[in-house]
Amino acid sequence: MVHRDPNISRETAAGFTGGGRQVRILHVPKLEVHNIVMEFPAVRALDGVSLSFERGEVHGIVGENGAGKSTLMKILGGVQRPTSGTMELDDSPISLGGVREALRHGIAMIHQELNLVDELTVAENVFLGREVTKAGLLVRTRMVEETDKILRQVHATFSASDKVANLSIAGKQLVEIAKAVAVDASVLIMDEPTAVLSEPEAESLFELIAKLKAHGTTVLYISHRLAEVCAICDRITVLRDGAWVTTVEARGANPAELARLMVGRPLQDFYPPKTAQPEGDPALELRGFCGANLAVRQGEILGLAGLVGAGRTELAEAIVGARPASGGEILIDGRPQRIRNQKDAMKLGIAYVSEDRKGLGLHLSLNVIQNVTMANLRAYGNVVLNRKAESSSAETWRSDLDIRAGDFHSEVLSISGGNQQKIAIAKWLETKPRILILDEPTRGVDVGAKREMYKLIQRLAAEGMACIVISSELPEILGICHRTVVMREGRVVGELGGNEMSEEAVMHLAAGVAAA
Amino acid sequence: MKRANLLSEYGALLALVLLFIVNVVTRGGNFLQVENLRNLVSQDASVGVIAIGMTLVIIAGGIDLSVGSMTAMCGAVVILLANKFAAGGMGANQAILCAAIGSVLAGAVAGLFNGLVVAYGRVAAFVVTLGGLAGFRSIALVLGDGGEIRSQVSSLQDFGFGGIPIPFVKDASGGPVLFYWSAVVFILVALGAGFVLNRTRFGRYVIAVGANPRAAEYSAINIQMVRLAVYTILGALVGLGAMLVAAKMNSVGTGSVGLYYELDAIAAVVIGGTSLRGGKGRIWGTVVGVLLLTLISNMITAYHIDTNWQGLVRGIVILVAVLIQRGRKEND
Repeated sequence: MVHRDPNISRETAAGFTGGGRQVRILHVPKLEVHNIVMEFPAVRALDGVSLSFERGEVHGIVGENGAGKSTLMKILGGVQRPTSGTMELDDSPISLGGVREALRHGIAMIHQELNLVDELTVAENVFLGREVTKAGLLVRTRMVEETDKILRQVHATFSASDKVANLSIAGKQLVEIAKAVAVDASVLIMDEPTAVLSEPEAESLFELIAKLKAHGTTVLYISHRLAEVCAICDRITVLRDGAWVTTVEARGANPAELARLMVGRPLQDFYPPKTAQPEGDPALELRGFCGANLAVRQGEILGLAGLVGAGRTELAEAIVGARPASGGEILIDGRPQRIRNQKDAMKLGIAYVSEDRKGLGLHLSLNVIQNVTMANLRAYGNVVLNRKAESSSAETWRSDLDIRAGDFHSEVLSISGGNQQKIAIAKWLETKPRILILDEPTRGVDVGAKREMYKLIQRLAAEGMACIVISSELPEILGICHRTVVMREGRVVGELGGNEMSEEAVMHLAAGVAAA
Repeated sequence: MKRANLLSEYGALLALVLLFIVNVVTRGGNFLQVENLRNLVSQDASVGVIAIGMTLVIIAGGIDLSVGSMTAMCGAVVILLANKFAAGGMGANQAILCAAIGSVLAGAVAGLFNGLVVAYGRVAAFVVTLGGLAGFRSIALVLGDGGEIRSQVSSLQDFGFGGIPIPFVKDASGGPVLFYWSAVVFILVALGAGFVLNRTRFGRYVIAVGANPRAAEYSAINIQMVRLAVYTILGALVGLGAMLVAAKMNSVGTGSVGLYYELDAIAAVVIGGTSLRGGKGRIWGTVVGVLLLTLISNMITAYHIDTNWQGLVRGIVILVAVLIQRGRKEND
């Protein structure tokens, strides 16, 4: 059930399309870009990239954050205009002036950031801007029917007439995908589509991609999950620092090799060696707290696994008082405590680094220094702020966490995901916590930065921090955690330690199937 | 790209300098008279003081449409209190001081009310303060019995037209030219607000709440308190602005004072480059916005243009300012 092995999934994909790989024999260049250059005020995001995408191919684009993947896709999708360069569709030059024009050429994009109207239904979102009408009136039934048809293909658990606001993040991602599929695009750009999907949901997405491909659709697929890219793509292009590095056949490519090409140096063992399992009394203990029983010691890294929607984030938010707790007890150093809001949590030394960096974790329009000191601003003055102290403390974090952002007075918005994540962590380390909850700490973070993040978490633990790591990437949990607690449908359903921890064991608990 | 940034960053200031030069060239000595320049700063000082408070509210992600009506209400309070204290045997200056304090308090309470409903009642600021726009005007009319309230304290106007003598300058009759107290208040309030916004913890919270309230909440910032505080500060500044109006006119027409102040204040804030979406803004920009609007109405009088055009000109200035701001966002 866990198709992490590239070979297994490739066979599935091929079987599904009836030998989908053969479609490429046509060799009709579908979309070509020549010498694309994109310059931003501070950086040259793309430095003369030329690529050709063939009809009916699934083309993976990989690279570290800041390599230019998203910029290239935004140019193809008409969201951004390149500084220079040309594009050809079926050998005739095209210029893209906007999303609408790109759509007219049959190029549709699924954005990393969700662009949905929460207050409308799924069907209304899918047909937004191209509603089916009769004499100026909406024909609801047709739109709902067609949407439901697509939703069934992606195995969505919701229906076309549900309100988008009520869907989980994963659900919203599926709506975005349905939206792009519904326009019957000939080129479909997917930017990190599986980042928020659970494994079964991702599997249905891969099936859908195989179907689209059999249909002759070109799929450009960006992902940080290299195994996944190797499994579902035909060819893979590696970008580094805005330049093309290589394009390889996915057959025979392996994640380690790709990772090496992306960073330009060999990666040592991906997960740093684990520290010894610490002994002692728990720093944080939950007793029936929101349906969870768990404990974490000083110096311990506890994994919190489960499918998307299992209630891990909700539990973490309840611990720090960001949402009301439903019963149970919370003990800090063995003493029961009441946490009504984030301030109480902070006083008890609990910090929570949210999975939603852009929405909850950081102030994107404020600068690095302001973000780093935001949660601990009282330390820099009760009335008048000591701005010198603020910036020197930000500098300390810069060297301590190796935050790579040239100008600390620039907006956090313009900084890469990995460094944003470090800033979010610095912001909470500022409050000198003893218990640190990290929610999806490596989401949207590139390979090199991921490893750094693992090292950082282990270092913090070695220094005595009690860490809880929430992650949807199982290898990550298995790679860095001492123990793993698995949640399903809002409750803790099991705990695995030491040798019991394996992808299979975790998935059995997470999905609620009896172990084989 | 560089030039576009300069324009969007300092557009209002450039426009002010440009118009200033146009005036110097076409009107020369008349325009450069010290009295005229002084009037530019003091003429709309009351709106200026309010606009500075409005800047804080808008940076915090809010809006206040009730400030005009609140000005009338506070203005009524100033005159009624001054008359009452003076009739009670208090010295004229003391009576005026007490009236001013009363006005600031009345404004602060009105602002507190707005803030309470916005922050804790979780009603959209636009709606709450639209209610205030109607309600505070009504209170003003009740206080003034539907008409004008005249001051019986003659020294109120002495304050309105008093000030600091500008050194080395004499008027036509040889007397000193005074830099009005209203302008002094405007400048002090602007400096104070700039300090609060950029140098204090509270100021940082104002920006944080406006930029991303949920992230602020997750950073353990009491966002409701911050919202409450900015509306209360604005209310107090409206009380101060009302005092300046009352002192200058020596009376308050409860139906007419403060009309469209909310629009003028918001216009100055927007022209100054503060984002209506919150989280970003600057006090000096608002000062430039106020001066620009004053200079424009000054020019309409000086060039003998039908004053009925004034509204259209202001409207165009506001639109251009917003369009340039949008340009800045795209350049980012």
